[in-house]
Amino acid sequence: MELSEIQQRVTRVVADVLAIDPAEVRPASNFVFDLGADSMKSVELIAGFEEEFDIEMDEDKAREVQTVEGAVAFIAPYVK
Amino acid sequence: MAGASGQDPSWLDPIFSPRSVAVVGTTRVPGTVPFDIFHNILKDDFQGTLYPVSPGERSVAGVKAYKYVVDIPDPVDLAVIVFPSSVVQLAMEQCGQKGVKGAVIISAGFREVGPAGAAREEEVRAIARRYGMPFIGPNCLGVINTDPHVHLNASFARRMPAAGSIGFLSQSGALCTAVLDYAHAKHIGFSKFISFGNKADVSDIDLMLALKDDPATRVILMYLEEMTDGAAFVDAAHRVIHEAGKPVLVLKAGRTRQGAAAAASHTGSLAASDEIVDAALRQAGVIRCQTIEEMFNNAIALTYQPLPRGRRVAIITNAGGPGVLTTDAAIAEKLELAAFSDRTRDIFKRSLPATANIKNPVDVIGDARADRYRVALGSALEDENVDGALVILTPQSMTDIDTIAEEVCRVAAVHDKPTYASFMGETDVASGIAILQKRNIPHYILPETMCRAFARAHDFRVEKDRHRSPAIRFADVDTAAAHAQLDAAIAAGRRTLAPSEAMHVLEAYRLPVLRSDVARSAAEAAVVAARVGFPVALKVESDDIVHKFDVGAVLLGVVTPAAAAMAYDTIVANVRARQPEARIDGVFVQRMAGAGEEVILGVKRDPAFGAVVMFGLGGLYVEIFRDVAFRMAPIPPELIRDMMHEVRAFPILTGARGHTPRDVAAVEECLQRLGQLAVDCPQIQELDINPLIVRDQGDGCAVADARILIATP
Repeated sequence: MELSEIQQRVTRVVADVLAIDPAEVRPASNFVFDLGADSMKSVELIAGFEEEFDIEMDEDKAREVQTVEGAVAFIAPYVK
Repeated sequence: MAGASGQDPSWLDPIFSPRSVAVVGTTRVPGTVPFDIFHNILKDDFQGTLYPVSPGERSVAGVKAYKYVVDIPDPVDLAVIVFPSSVVQLAMEQCGQKGVKGAVIISAGFREVGPAGAAREEEVRAIARRYGMPFIGPNCLGVINTDPHVHLNASFARRMPAAGSIGFLSQSGALCTAVLDYAHAKHIGFSKFISFGNKADVSDIDLMLALKDDPATRVILMYLEEMTDGAAFVDAAHRVIHEAGKPVLVLKAGRTRQGAAAAASHTGSLAASDEIVDAALRQAGVIRCQTIEEMFNNAIALTYQPLPRGRRVAIITNAGGPGVLTTDAAIAEKLELAAFSDRTRDIFKRSLPATANIKNPVDVIGDARADRYRVALGSALEDENVDGALVILTPQSMTDIDTIAEEVCRVAAVHDKPTYASFMGETDVASGIAILQKRNIPHYILPETMCRAFARAHDFRVEKDRHRSPAIRFADVDTAAAHAQLDAAIAAGRRTLAPSEAMHVLEAYRLPVLRSDVARSAAEAAVVAARVGFPVALKVESDDIVHKFDVGAVLLGVVTPAAAAMAYDTIVANVRARQPEARIDGVFVQRMAGAGEEVILGVKRDPAFGAVVMFGLGGLYVEIFRDVAFRMAPIPPELIRDMMHEVRAFPILTGARGHTPRDVAAVEECLQRLGQLAVDCPQIQELDINPLIVRDQGDGCAVADARILIATP
């Protein structure tokens, strides 16, 4: 899968889960600091990514991902 | 920022008294720390302007929210940061850019969780220092200021405490909430209530000094779990007590003796860290408490009532038994029952029933109503022989409890002497107790705690007014010679000094060492013995043998040159037989001290408190009873005397129960010189003078044996 497609789908999941305008979701956006994800929303984001890409991620490592571009890079190896 | 003894006193005003506060990272979810802190500030009527910073939310609790702190159009004095630790550095960076003047970081997940957290904490501190933005925390409950012009509850405590004169500082946030609950029930108010958590920037010492200059704070209470810079803490506490006249009460956790066993000297093993903490706090004049209850028992006495000018108390009671109990408790605390003047006794005679006891304790009889309490308390407080009053009440059927409580408050308020009360019982006396508590009469369930609090308040008054001379510095010492001896051992890679070397170090500081020298042969031992004077003691000179008596390497009471030569051979033979691998550098020959009382003096270098000096009586008193006292060096003369009197066996030296009075002044001088040596020679890790033989009064003392351990570089 192309990185641009991963990026697009990640942005959509983030906007859906956090109920924000997709235009606000930028590659450098920090889930907590810029987009307001609390701990519950962080869990929902991980679940949303797994469902979107039909993958199962290492949850502890996934929690360490802080930004949208970080999420794209983290998901990429799972969907190759 | 931290370690701010020279700071402008107003440097923490943006944290304590902000005109505007941003809660950075708040949410809309009640019951969470980020929401509750915002909500507490809002509902507890903060007098400034409040801004929620909450990315992803348009408003919080009906207040317009900002995505970033930099989006707030007005200046922000204080940022309360409640974001998860992973993004606190981003929030602090933005606060710096915004020109925020101070911060409280509530978030956990820093030094307390390990190296990664510690690195994060360091990063946050670096940002704060770059922007000159002091912060409290992280990992804390928050900050409360009850000043009606501020009224800030930037914490996640369940309630805002009432205004009062007690400043409370705590390393534990959880303890804060328990204390607030306890204080609420007892109508105790606070000026400032601060949980400082990891103290990554603003330290407990900074906060104590800030409260020293805070006009709303009269008494400072602290809960501590560690004292990383004990010497600075003691210095700051001393300033608070003696410059501002404010009592400092400390509840310090961790009183175990673990670790002491590993120490290599007597002084090391006796100076467990908590004993040093205890001594250092006492040296500063801090009142150390063992429980929260004890801390508040003392605090209410110190905060609400004048300090007692003396120890003479008047006990006023409507019950004989509790009067006797209170008398016992007072005597146990070294208080005195005041002897009333003739005038006071005349008033009692005229005003109280014939059956009343008009001596101290004054028994106004079981059927007493408020008028008798008024006369008894008022007259007692007027009496110049009385320094304070202790009022006891037990609830009989005719006792008008609330009226008596009102009367006690009224009478106490017009006198400049302290009045404390103990309304004994629970249910019937509850409303009377509440009246007393609300009107600042310290109340105690038990007479014993009441007397203890009175005694501590008096002790504080004495301490506060006490003159302290600077420590004496002797000019006749040879610091260079002591350094040369110690540095030579360090250069040789050794951790201990030989007995002769230790004696040279002590001699350089004019401590009274006995004449001595090292002999390398039996013939030389005879010559040395004749030179130093008989009787002599001989012991092996060897780094490898710690317990010299155990291997037969010490012989005492040798009185002729021939015997000295034989003693030399015996010692060498014993060592060869019992510890053949030990290196022998000769035999140390020393004139014996003669008759006297044995005492032990010592030094230990503590990582937090620096050089600490120890004093105790020798033998059993040290080994079994651990009857020793410590002070941080250098020690002012008054504290040397305090230290000696603190040792329970000390009266043996002054001639108690048939003992010969010994030369105490000579011991005092030894302790002063030892303190100076400890300060001047940081190479010394531990030092024992054991024993110092104290001769009869006027005859001085003599160092019979000494051991010095060198600090590892």
